[in-house]
Amino acid sequence: MALLEVHNLTKDFDGLRANDDISFTLDQGELVGLIGPNGAGKTTLFNCISGLHPVTSGRIIFDGQEITQLKPYEVARRGLARTFQVYVASGDLTVEENVMVGCFMRTRSRAQAKARAREILTDLRLSDLADYLMSELPVSAQKRVTMATALGSDPKLLLLDEVAAGLNPSEIDEIMTSIKHVHDDLGVTVMLIEHVMELVMKVSHRVVVLDYGKKIAEGEPAKVAKDPLVIKAYLGERYVREHAEELK
Amino acid sequence: METLRNTFDFSDFPRIDLMVAGFVAIFLVVFPLVPHSSFAMATMIQFLMFSLYGMGWNTIGGYGGQVDLGKAQYVGIGAYTTAVMLIRWDVPFWFSMPIGVCLAVGWSFIIGYPLFRLTGHYFAIATIATSLVLKDIFEVWDFVGAARGLEISPIKYSPPDFLRLIFKEDIYYYYIILGFFFLGILYVNWFRKSRLGFQLRSIKDNEEVAQSLGINVHWAKIKTYAIATAFVSLVGSFHACYIKNIEPEDTMSLDLSILIALMAMLGGAGSLWGPIIGAGVLIPLKSYLKEWLGAKAGLVGIDLIFYSLIIMVVSAAEPRGIWGIVEKIRRRKQV
Amino acid sequence: MDILVSSLAAGILIGMVLALMALGLTIIFGVMDIVNFAHGEFLMIGMYAGLLTAQSTGMDPILTLPVAAAVGFLLGVICYFGFVKFLLRGPMVAQLLGTFGLMLFLRNLALLVFGSEDKGLHHGILVGKSFDVGMGVIIPATKLAAAGLSVLAFLAVWILMNRTKIGKALTATALDGQGARYMGIPTERMNALAWGIGGTSVTVAGALLVNFWSVNPFVGILFTMIAFAIVALGGFGSVPGAFFAGLVVGIITEIPGIWDFFTYTFNFEWMANVPMTSFKYMWVYLAYFVIMVVRPRGLFGWKH
Repeated sequence: MALLEVHNLTKDFDGLRANDDISFTLDQGELVGLIGPNGAGKTTLFNCISGLHPVTSGRIIFDGQEITQLKPYEVARRGLARTFQVYVASGDLTVEENVMVGCFMRTRSRAQAKARAREILTDLRLSDLADYLMSELPVSAQKRVTMATALGSDPKLLLLDEVAAGLNPSEIDEIMTSIKHVHDDLGVTVMLIEHVMELVMKVSHRVVVLDYGKKIAEGEPAKVAKDPLVIKAYLGERYVREHAEELK
Repeated sequence: METLRNTFDFSDFPRIDLMVAGFVAIFLVVFPLVPHSSFAMATMIQFLMFSLYGMGWNTIGGYGGQVDLGKAQYVGIGAYTTAVMLIRWDVPFWFSMPIGVCLAVGWSFIIGYPLFRLTGHYFAIATIATSLVLKDIFEVWDFVGAARGLEISPIKYSPPDFLRLIFKEDIYYYYIILGFFFLGILYVNWFRKSRLGFQLRSIKDNEEVAQSLGINVHWAKIKTYAIATAFVSLVGSFHACYIKNIEPEDTMSLDLSILIALMAMLGGAGSLWGPIIGAGVLIPLKSYLKEWLGAKAGLVGIDLIFYSLIIMVVSAAEPRGIWGIVEKIRRRKQV
Repeated sequence: MDILVSSLAAGILIGMVLALMALGLTIIFGVMDIVNFAHGEFLMIGMYAGLLTAQSTGMDPILTLPVAAAVGFLLGVICYFGFVKFLLRGPMVAQLLGTFGLMLFLRNLALLVFGSEDKGLHHGILVGKSFDVGMGVIIPATKLAAAGLSVLAFLAVWILMNRTKIGKALTATALDGQGARYMGIPTERMNALAWGIGGTSVTVAGALLVNFWSVNPFVGILFTMIAFAIVALGGFGSVPGAFFAGLVVGIITEIPGIWDFFTYTFNFEWMANVPMTSFKYMWVYLAYFVIMVVRPRGLFGWKH
């Protein structure tokens, strides 16, 4: 069953077309990667879906209802959560309080929010960090916490914007485990923007490829990686040579 | 039930905080019973009033990070409602105060809606502008005494009048505002743990993230602005009965608006104790500087020069205020 | 009819001086994103500088401008290195309250030094003279000279900002401070320069204003608010915006005269009963509020 349908979505910024007639669907229970070179319009697409930018034209249907015109908080309340690429930790919220903010979307009770936040932090193996301020954490931990916060709102669909950027290999492994856990065990449908190919190609069921705001390919990772258009636009000849084994 | 528990639950503070707070509370309760000058008494009442102003401001300005520099207009609305109703229709304080709060909150919704489309500096300056517009209107509005203001003449009443809040001795005023002070602390203690409190702290952190967590940012700000307004208007009503002489120039001036923000900022915005610490430092400092330097030495304005230097040093050296310094030391010890 | 024309003329003339005053604020804001609450106090100091120089030397008030300019430049640079530099590290709330502290400091220092009474200029070649431009409109020579010199000063700053290397470095700092630093522009000195130029233009405006507006230590806040309104209307950081917005706000301050015109021309009795002169500056505040909400970028805004 389709959880998210994007129909002919177009977004212009002052004459610059950031998303050009993009259509795709996500089924319930899928884990889909969104890749493409810098400036391809990936984050803009997430912003449009989550209601942060009004779309120029096109329709977005989530869980059977149209959400194209909704405000970001209304979209979030329907069960569509997301993380942000850049997280500026300026405030004085601790990790646990941060996750509680997410949990407060579903409850008014502080006790319930706190209990749920503890649960999620334990689940993602972050409970040791509960009392730290966000600004005291390394980037890798911050990214996992933003994921935990988004999970606090019990989403049906989670959009992850570059959670692995700038992490070292062991941290990438950690976050990959977290993503798999969220998807496999908690049953959340996930779409992730990612430049770290090792991660996205390994975990995704499908990938959608954007270039210059257009969707240029969509399909299983192994097939997409062989697509000459994708190789030319993004992956490069070298990646395909080096990963020839895996892609089979 | 949980609400009630949250209101009275201070257990997340370190024990040392609670002990200090307990001592201060006991001191405040017994203060009128120990020998004191009338000047000290007046200073203490001012301290309690400004603590409450600061607590109100702290909800939107401290927890929410929205720098509101127009709170004086609501002091004016509260003060004028109580004074007008008492003078014209003999309505006692306990009835006019809630009406004043309702009027102030109503007005805060009307201007809050457009105001909160702005952020940062733009918001701060716009709050000043709205406050000055209202002040200008009050200065020509004959119904409220225009620029001359209003005077509540105590001769008409027989003090102590607990309904109208007309007393001869300051001690009555002291205990009434002290009651409000404790209620204010309990309310803010609930607020900081409530869903709205968390939403506001998230907004201060990052508005886009807050929206993506299902928070209606605009509405959450307006609601909290109304809460801050209610605090300020209530104290404004009290101010009318206590000072008995109100005019736009002192109840609605920009200086008062900024002083209110300063209480919370100097003490530490976004913490429960911040505004109280700020008022506890600033108000005695201000009145005694004026007493010692302003009046006695015959040098006009020198007290305010010292005062402004303190503001400048604090904002340049430690913008998170006194409480910020305490927290910083504590965190350093922990690590 | 003559009321209308003379109100408009007066508004435009004062608007030119106000534009020069607001220019200082918009440059400072444009270069470093900081709102200076003490801006009106800078103007007040400029007024005193002009007044005292004229009185002590017996010079014609119009000739005191270089003194006022020097005072303003020094004031701006000293404020920057002595105080504002430290504010920039803190959050926005600290900047707002810090410059508010500066405003209180300057105001009360003036009170201590100059006393609280109103002081004005009553001599000079232009005082008392006026031009009859027809249609019953009489323009005092002081206002005309002040307006003309304001436009000249404005032009000078505009040329400095747009046609010189220093101006380009300032603009670069405004657009992207970090980028400018990488390109070898000494941003610290640029910031100080912005405060210097800002201080100069506002004190010169003050020295011009004092020819027909008496000064006391409390005049600052009114002009701070007027400057905010002009900068909001013109767009934060926009130099040409400040000029046109200055004219508009100048006319707004003359609303009472325009109101009178409509009252008498159409004989509206209800209009005569409104104490419009008391609302003179309320329109400025209201204008700020409405402009910010309806059109946050202002007329010529380039930075938000």
